[in-house]
Amino acid sequence: MSAAEKMSRRDEMETLLPFYLNGSLEGSDLEAVEEWLASDPSALAALGEAEAEFSGTSAANEAIRPPADALSRFAKALDAEAGPAAGKPAGSSWLAQAWGRFMAVPVGVAWAAAAVLLALIVVQTLVQPGGKGKDFEIAGAEDDLAKMPFALVKFKPDAKMSDISGFLGSNGLKVIGGPTTDGVFRLGIPAADAAGYTRQLGLIAAQPFTETVIEGRKPADGG
Amino acid sequence: MTAAAETDRALVDRVAKGDRAAVRLLFMRHHARVYRFVARQTGSEMMADDIANEVFLELWRQAPGFEGRSEVSTWLLGIARFKALSLLRKKKEDWIDDEAAAAVPDGADTPEVVTMKEDKAAALRRFVDALPEEHRTVIDLAYYHGQSVSEIGEVLGIPVATVKTRMFYARKKLGEALKAAGYDRGWP
Repeated sequence: MSAAEKMSRRDEMETLLPFYLNGSLEGSDLEAVEEWLASDPSALAALGEAEAEFSGTSAANEAIRPPADALSRFAKALDAEAGPAAGKPAGSSWLAQAWGRFMAVPVGVAWAAAAVLLALIVVQTLVQPGGKGKDFEIAGAEDDLAKMPFALVKFKPDAKMSDISGFLGSNGLKVIGGPTTDGVFRLGIPAADAAGYTRQLGLIAAQPFTETVIEGRKPADGG
Repeated sequence: MTAAAETDRALVDRVAKGDRAAVRLLFMRHHARVYRFVARQTGSEMMADDIANEVFLELWRQAPGFEGRSEVSTWLLGIARFKALSLLRKKKEDWIDDEAAAAVPDGADTPEVVTMKEDKAAALRRFVDALPEEHRTVIDLAYYHGQSVSEIGEVLGIPVATVKTRMFYARKKLGEALKAAGYDRGWP
């Protein structure tokens, strides 16, 4: 292979490296890059440089922080586009609002979600905010909710209240918000680091009564 | 196809049937990346905010016509790209972006002097930011958004060969900038 051909081949491999790193390369391109990495002593250094570019680009993007209220503003825009959703809370007190939310949970969405909310109403009526219910802890006013890692969870319509509450209680999970009219809860995740957070999310996702888990705020080291 | 992509498509199917919860879930899943993509395209977080919102309203409107020939994330980025370019064209005559203006170096330091003050990672990040838009976009789409060559072609509306050419020159420019700053990486 001539020097010119070798350089041309290197140019081609350097062009494909970003796609090798992001896992989207396949077929003959993937084979060519792997063969190059295995046979050319300079290839691993090139891979290291591409990894540095990967990190730099990720950091540049992650530095851009979307506004925290984006979802609520989008929900309003969606309501304006599609018409208001039915069953919004009408009362002003927390109990009236909670009851409104309970009544707004659509039939067939999640009786379990409604049941958990009912438990919230009952427990919060009987104990001080921040106190412990029988089966699981209700996040109270003194919790620093603004900093607490959380995930958004929706339970299956046929889930049993006892299963959910037992699981929450035994794993130190807290209901800190919800349900929305769509039955989505915000669960506080008692994890000190990103790895613990990911484990907890995996645990929640693995439960038979869980329909959907969406990653929310991670602990501070979660990038 | 990944499991996450299947779930995205299932959510789009629900959106097509008028399920607002599904569009909110897709919003939560993809909004940050769409927002960042537009912010990097336009240099304006205010425009990114407006356009990202519009992208998900467009998802609501277009979901019944989504045929699933591409990943949902690719589809959303394509919508975002189109909307960003449309808005930029409209505002090209009179729009002056304060954020972009503030980001222009003041010339007090030469690139070499600036680079000496920072480590290689920070220098690289700065060089990525300084790439021409068409080069930076392919870098962003590959490294940050995880898009394949063909997906980038779809988002940008350009042939696969052009994606590769842009990637080649983008990486070449990064290499030259690093070399000029004293970080020799052996290519180009």
